[in-house]
Amino acid sequence: MANAPTVTPQRQSEIEEIVESELDPDRPWVTVVWNDPVNLMSYVTHVFMKVFGYPKDKATSLMLDVHHKGRAIVSSGPRERMESDTATLHGYGLWATVQRDS
Amino acid sequence: MRVRRKGELLRVDFHPSEVELLGVLLDDLESLLAGLDTDDPVVQRLFPDGYTDDAGASAEFASLVAGDLRDDRAARIGACRAELPPRGGQVSLDAEAADRWIRVINDLRLSVGTRIGVTEEDELDPTDQAAALYHWLSATQEILVEHLMA
Repeated sequence: MANAPTVTPQRQSEIEEIVESELDPDRPWVTVVWNDPVNLMSYVTHVFMKVFGYPKDKATSLMLDVHHKGRAIVSSGPRERMESDTATLHGYGLWATVQRDS
Repeated sequence: MRVRRKGELLRVDFHPSEVELLGVLLDDLESLLAGLDTDDPVVQRLFPDGYTDDAGASAEFASLVAGDLRDDRAARIGACRAELPPRGGQVSLDAEAADRWIRVINDLRLSVGTRIGVTEEDELDPTDQAAALYHWLSATQEILVEHLMA
């Protein structure tokens, strides 16, 4: 993201958002879960099943990506929804962040 | 602690000493949430940044969600404490209650794990009391998750 909304004048930020969405129609936002040394593999799998309704094999595969690759994209879509997913995962103690898909 | 699955319910047997220990840990976590000292590494771990590369967006995210996250955590702690049998004994947990319990135990693991500096590489000192507590919380969580997913 180019600017933090809090330091950008209102009108300019609106214009930038419009331009951004026109330029990047296919780049949604994503929720990323990062590896951490505390959360158990079984627990992380349980959380992915519970929060996203993923079947056990998909949840397990995402958990293994987090474990082996250090991070995994667990959901994608509009920014507001990714912030909501991230907050939910924080409520489960997972280390999650929002970012633009790259 | 002993866990058995009976249909949709998890039957959990608590030893009196486990009830006592969990009571102390829940009280500690509750105090930490009430104070919410953002310089505390445990608080930082329980309420991580929402963005890795945008401090402004992270601050805005925190202002939107941190209050609810804290209140929800405190409510889960209160509900679990209310279910603890005072002198030990059996508790029946449905799927929602079991999910709440493993989340609270996870918060305890994150707290203790952060305090003792758990890493992926280093083994914990088996004679250290906090490490033993951490391992007990891990085993407890693991057995609850296993039974819940079975």
